[in-house]
Amino acid sequence: MNSKIKRIVIVGGGTAGWLSASIIASEHFSDDSNFELYLIESPDIPTIGVGEGTWPSMRTTLQKIGISETEFLIECDASFKQGTQFFNWTYGKNDTYSHPFTAPHLFNEKNLAPHWQQIKQNISFADAVCPQTPLFDNKQAPKNISTPEYAFNVNYGYHLDAAKFAELLRKHCVNNLGVTHVIANVMVINASDNGDIRSISTDTEGNIEGDLFIDCSGSRALLIGEHYKIPFKSKNKYLFNNCALAAQIPYTTAEDPIQSCTLSTAQSAGWIWDIGLPTRRGIGHVYSSDYNSDDNATTELLAYIKKTAGEKAAEMASVRKINFDPGHREKFWHKNCVAIGMSAGFIEPLEASALVLVELSATMIAEQLPANRKVMDIVAKRFNQKFNYRWDRIIDFLKLHYILTKRIDTDYWIDNCAKSSIPDSLQELLELWHYQVPWHRDNYHIDEMFPSASFQYVLYGMDFETQLNPLSNRTDREVGIRAHSMFADNAAHANQLLASLPTNRELLNKIQKYGLQKI
Amino acid sequence: MSNPQILSPANHSDLKVITDVGGHVGDNIQFVSTFALEFRNIQSSYPIFFTKNSETGEFYPIALFGFEANENLFLNDSGWDASYIPMMIKRQPFTIGYQGETDNEKRPVVTIDLESPRISETLGEALFDDKDQPSLFLKKIISQLEALHKGYEHNKDFIETLIKLDLLEPFSLEITLNDGSFNQLNGFYTINEDKLLDLDGATLADLNKSEYLQPIYMSIASYSRIKPLIDKKNNLI
Repeated sequence: MNSKIKRIVIVGGGTAGWLSASIIASEHFSDDSNFELYLIESPDIPTIGVGEGTWPSMRTTLQKIGISETEFLIECDASFKQGTQFFNWTYGKNDTYSHPFTAPHLFNEKNLAPHWQQIKQNISFADAVCPQTPLFDNKQAPKNISTPEYAFNVNYGYHLDAAKFAELLRKHCVNNLGVTHVIANVMVINASDNGDIRSISTDTEGNIEGDLFIDCSGSRALLIGEHYKIPFKSKNKYLFNNCALAAQIPYTTAEDPIQSCTLSTAQSAGWIWDIGLPTRRGIGHVYSSDYNSDDNATTELLAYIKKTAGEKAAEMASVRKINFDPGHREKFWHKNCVAIGMSAGFIEPLEASALVLVELSATMIAEQLPANRKVMDIVAKRFNQKFNYRWDRIIDFLKLHYILTKRIDTDYWIDNCAKSSIPDSLQELLELWHYQVPWHRDNYHIDEMFPSASFQYVLYGMDFETQLNPLSNRTDREVGIRAHSMFADNAAHANQLLASLPTNRELLNKIQKYGLQKI
Repeated sequence: MSNPQILSPANHSDLKVITDVGGHVGDNIQFVSTFALEFRNIQSSYPIFFTKNSETGEFYPIALFGFEANENLFLNDSGWDASYIPMMIKRQPFTIGYQGETDNEKRPVVTIDLESPRISETLGEALFDDKDQPSLFLKKIISQLEALHKGYEHNKDFIETLIKLDLLEPFSLEITLNDGSFNQLNGFYTINEDKLLDLDGATLADLNKSEYLQPIYMSIASYSRIKPLIDKKNNLI
């Protein structure tokens, strides 16, 4: 029980497996430590590329694990993601709003949301408080060629090719981080007397022993599901989507503009994502099989492709279908096994929470790696509490996008607003927000996944009404006196960015040619 | 705007070039690019820093003349007050252009900026003699441009080495002038002396052999030229 945790074994080699391996190994591997990390990858099972969108957290993650941003952008066919633009979510007809990654102007100290209410007839919330959204129309980049790697003028994450990303991480793990890559099929999971996993028998590489096992085997969940039978909690009653149709669409010319955001366009019973990489677009339809047929979902997807990429692209499109049950495991860390990625859970790609959960899970393991088996159960308990809380927050935040709709054109949108389909925690918040705007005080934890800024962007982007008495407290009154000049400062900042930032295409072409500097 | 054209006696035999220095011929600039091969001369008068090309993000070294745009504190009524004038200033209005499609075919040619205020038809040095042969002045310019070309090529490896060894660091210079006004110089980089001191013997020997060690120390020595530059600025108040 007091033996040191020395060897970690990861099962599965998709993005989840290699990203977890990179994060953990970059924290613990050194030439003179006896820390070991093995990653077992089946030569036979293809990985499904989950998540082509990341959060801004990925910049920090990549920098920490020691990958050059220039190399990452080129190798992974990656582009910059500055947020999400939503279409037809509120009224179903030519309505749009943005959720940018840059927080509102002066957000650390000043809450401008109450004061925007006075000018909301003239300007959208995001445009009033954030300098980033005006860049989206021109497909402008978040930085310049002279901005160092991972630094920015406005906050960004990435759109990337998940398969290429896994391959880049694999090379980095094996060449630089001392990870042992075992290419073999898992045959038997061997248990110790205490119920821990002792070793994994493979078909061609023998027995692999370990102190801690990480299940990155995807929806098969070989260790947490098949072996430990940890129950799966479906969240279908809150989030109805359970099918996705995915396609890759080429650009018409090599110089077509690359979008600055993920585009999300609401449909009759779901929504279509549209993600711009340098060499292609990833377009897909995520919907609920209870409210939409595959045929109709395909028709809606092809209509979107035809409208945005032309008739030929729609005819050529090859569409791949993915089924999923939205939800997660009852717990993620059991005995000496922890699940990361789709083995832990999966919900629809709205707000791109898949990769960030991998980053957060692996980072917590890297930072709190139990010293020995004796204290592992304590770390496991804390991990389970934290990630159950995080899943609940993700579900609340995703559900928020559905319950603010004014659409009543299909049962899907009507039923999404039924009280029985809204988690209690979200109903309470919504009640509060009728009378006060979201603010830092709403946070329970210092490391909340969604800051109150995100709630502000979605609520006021979707025309949610907060009834305020703006003169009710001193703080608001004080900000109110200067609000006008703060909005003006934000507008000036936006104009300066509009004039100085290149397009995504221009910047990515330059990065191909010159690279970004590290400083 | 500039309008560089390949120099030829057929097109440019009547042109003359004014060799004065001063604001009237476009010398009121804050800094000019320089070359590691020139650092020894530069550091006697000017602080040497590194900055990024705004079009490519690539680093290049500069000699600093002032603390704000269009400020050249070395210019006064009698001309350019320094014992050495940087090569990139002296070569004006000429530059090296490159002719040819592919990298292999490319060869350097002399180009002249016809928009330069130094161009004249009456004043200054003639470029060609009666027989359309290059004048002595032009011959001197050509040899300077050859030195520039060499300096430019040498710079590329020099900069690459500095980056590889992590020897550049951003810095910001904050100056309060005698009248209380505050000036801040941003976007420049210097040699990281801590990192330089940490280099092992073999790396230092390599640097020395490739003639990079001397310019590294020349640029560090040039920081002592910041104080005189501030004094010049204070004297103008």
